[in-house]
Amino acid sequence: MTTSTVRQWSDNTRGYAMNAPALIAILLLVAYPIGYSFWVSLHRDNLAQPAARKLIGLDNYLSLVDDPAFLASLRVSALFVLVVLVVTVVLGLVLALVLNETFMGRGVLRSLVLLPWAMPGVVNGLMWRTVFDAKTGALNGVLTELGWIDSYQAWLASESGAFFFTAFAQVWNTLPFTVIILLAGLSTIPRELYDAATVDRAGVVQRFRQVTVPWLLHPLLIVLILETMNAFRAFDTIYVLTGGGPGDATTTVALLTVQRVLTYTDVGLGSAYAWVITLITLVISVAYVGLLYRRGSFEV
Amino acid sequence: MSTLVNRRTLLGSAVALPLLSACGAGSAGAGAVRFEGWDYESQLVQQNLDRFTAANADIKVAYTPITSAQYVRKIVAEFTGNNGPDVLYSYDDSMVSWVQAGYLQPLDGLPGVDEVYSGIYESNAKAMTFQGKRYGLPYYTDCHGLTYNAALLDKAGIKTPPKSLDELEQQALKVKNAGVLEYPIGLAAQLADTWSSWVWTLVYGSDAALFSDDFKPTMDKARPIFDWIHKAATVSKVIDPASLQLTPVPLDNAMMAGQYAFTIGPRYALRTYNDPAKSKQAGALKLAAVPSLDGTARGTVSSTRMYCLAAKTAVKDKAVKLLNFLGGYGSDGKPSTARFWFDQRGLGFPFRQLADDPDIRTTLAKFTDPETYTKLSAVAKPRNLLGAPWYGEYESAQQKTVQQLLTNQTDASAAVSSLSETAISLAKKYS
Repeated sequence: MTTSTVRQWSDNTRGYAMNAPALIAILLLVAYPIGYSFWVSLHRDNLAQPAARKLIGLDNYLSLVDDPAFLASLRVSALFVLVVLVVTVVLGLVLALVLNETFMGRGVLRSLVLLPWAMPGVVNGLMWRTVFDAKTGALNGVLTELGWIDSYQAWLASESGAFFFTAFAQVWNTLPFTVIILLAGLSTIPRELYDAATVDRAGVVQRFRQVTVPWLLHPLLIVLILETMNAFRAFDTIYVLTGGGPGDATTTVALLTVQRVLTYTDVGLGSAYAWVITLITLVISVAYVGLLYRRGSFEV
Repeated sequence: MSTLVNRRTLLGSAVALPLLSACGAGSAGAGAVRFEGWDYESQLVQQNLDRFTAANADIKVAYTPITSAQYVRKIVAEFTGNNGPDVLYSYDDSMVSWVQAGYLQPLDGLPGVDEVYSGIYESNAKAMTFQGKRYGLPYYTDCHGLTYNAALLDKAGIKTPPKSLDELEQQALKVKNAGVLEYPIGLAAQLADTWSSWVWTLVYGSDAALFSDDFKPTMDKARPIFDWIHKAATVSKVIDPASLQLTPVPLDNAMMAGQYAFTIGPRYALRTYNDPAKSKQAGALKLAAVPSLDGTARGTVSSTRMYCLAAKTAVKDKAVKLLNFLGGYGSDGKPSTARFWFDQRGLGFPFRQLADDPDIRTTLAKFTDPETYTKLSAVAKPRNLLGAPWYGEYESAQQKTVQQLLTNQTDASAAVSSLSETAISLAKKYS
């Protein structure tokens, strides 16, 4: 290649050429597996029955419409996302507002709040499993000492108990992320806005609604998108705590997908499950952007 | 110049990568027998293999232990990538799917196989046979019985273990009413990827098969068992609700801490239960026949772990020799590896001749009653659904249904009809 040839390259061509190695790596490591998983989802493909492998088009997707296990897991996932999201956002906002104030020990408290985020999901599940244990759990110990319960309880043995304690463990693990994002958002609000609102005789609630909330819409959008995705994909904590039980009470769609692919080796239908999860989170994310991003742009 | 060197380095790397990868796949060396198993006591496995290689200097064995929790998945991944081992462990509930996937080859006609099959318990032979062909030589086996804490029963004035399910419930109530334990029965009922052995044990204990041998649901026969589970959990409340949070290891710990008077579990556990170094209840925990609906000891369920031969092994003759060493008889006509595992870790032996061995009976007597132990082997049966490709999915559904029974979300009739429907729909789906 001569120097004159290189000079003839347009900026665009050169840009593509320079990025080609990274693009190739991304194509090989990300795009290809994603595309391949879609291709697999169009097949009847159970590793235990290789002879039965065949292209069936969208049959795997169509079968989901009357697949009771899948529909039940979708319902559980939807409720799980709703509970985790509401509790995370409300608690996250409260904690962020508290940590945004100036008081003694704020630095230590900010560091402590981050700790749960550093914990892997499996460890989080194991820790809460120990806490909720029916025979030796700390929760039972504390409540018994306080005289609130007469005997040790199996907290994860009832449908509602298992669901809410699992949701609680998930919230505990992901709450710090929400706090950090909202705290960052709070720190960007100019002090003068609050001063002006105070001069205009706005009360605490009004200042929160008219100043804080509009400025937090963008960080809130990030929180909602990422926490929705996290809650939808929640697997490790639930797997360790309840395994999806009792019955189907905590069998989320992510848990069912892992079970379908790894336990039953049904990679065809399992891939279809995974694509449906992707599609659902995509639709929810687009809806969030539509609802909050534009609104935030106008009002801020 | 430096550009040239870099290009060469790059080209060299491109060539080296596949070579390195190939080295990884064949690190055992040409001609070695690749042997893989889950990682239970891998040092002892190696010790046993050293005995084999010492006696067979021309055969090299490359042994790879794999984490138990990932064993099935890794083996499937290896065979899918045409990089499977030559000889491998298999669970009885994995064998059929591995045969159907073409990973394993039948052992019929190979030297020593007929002798092994005529010397082992029928339940083990059945578990390793699929569509009339034999696919494994036995590693170890176990079967389940009623484990009870004689000291706790004594506190409630009970001297003999229950023979029927009604009697079990009544004795548990007596223990409960005497204030000894709030929930006398503990069971490992958390959802798991493995099987829920206690459910199958109760069913087979009353000779009430869930399926016919051609995998048609016959669950009506098991309805009284499900009804008993439901009643014991929700009416008399003798089954601990915390069972839903229990897997086998925490259940073992609870038994050894005296937190339960009864459980349905494997015979093997008695060795640890009655070890004073490990258990506070050592000496008090006993084994009995499975309580049945009518009080007659009718049977139990067994599990079999086996050694299998890969369909595409390139070193078949050597692999067969290893297979025979591990799962067959030695030149002295004794099953040396099965004996080795019983001596070392108390693993259940599939060979009938070992049940009469005086040394083995002496060892057994240290932790259980040898008579009850061997009687359970004689009446045990493998799950007759293992040959169905949809067994794994059914097992999962059954575990969930049993959890619903335990938590009063369903009753026995609804459970039976739901499981029947599940089985029919799975059979259709996999056909």
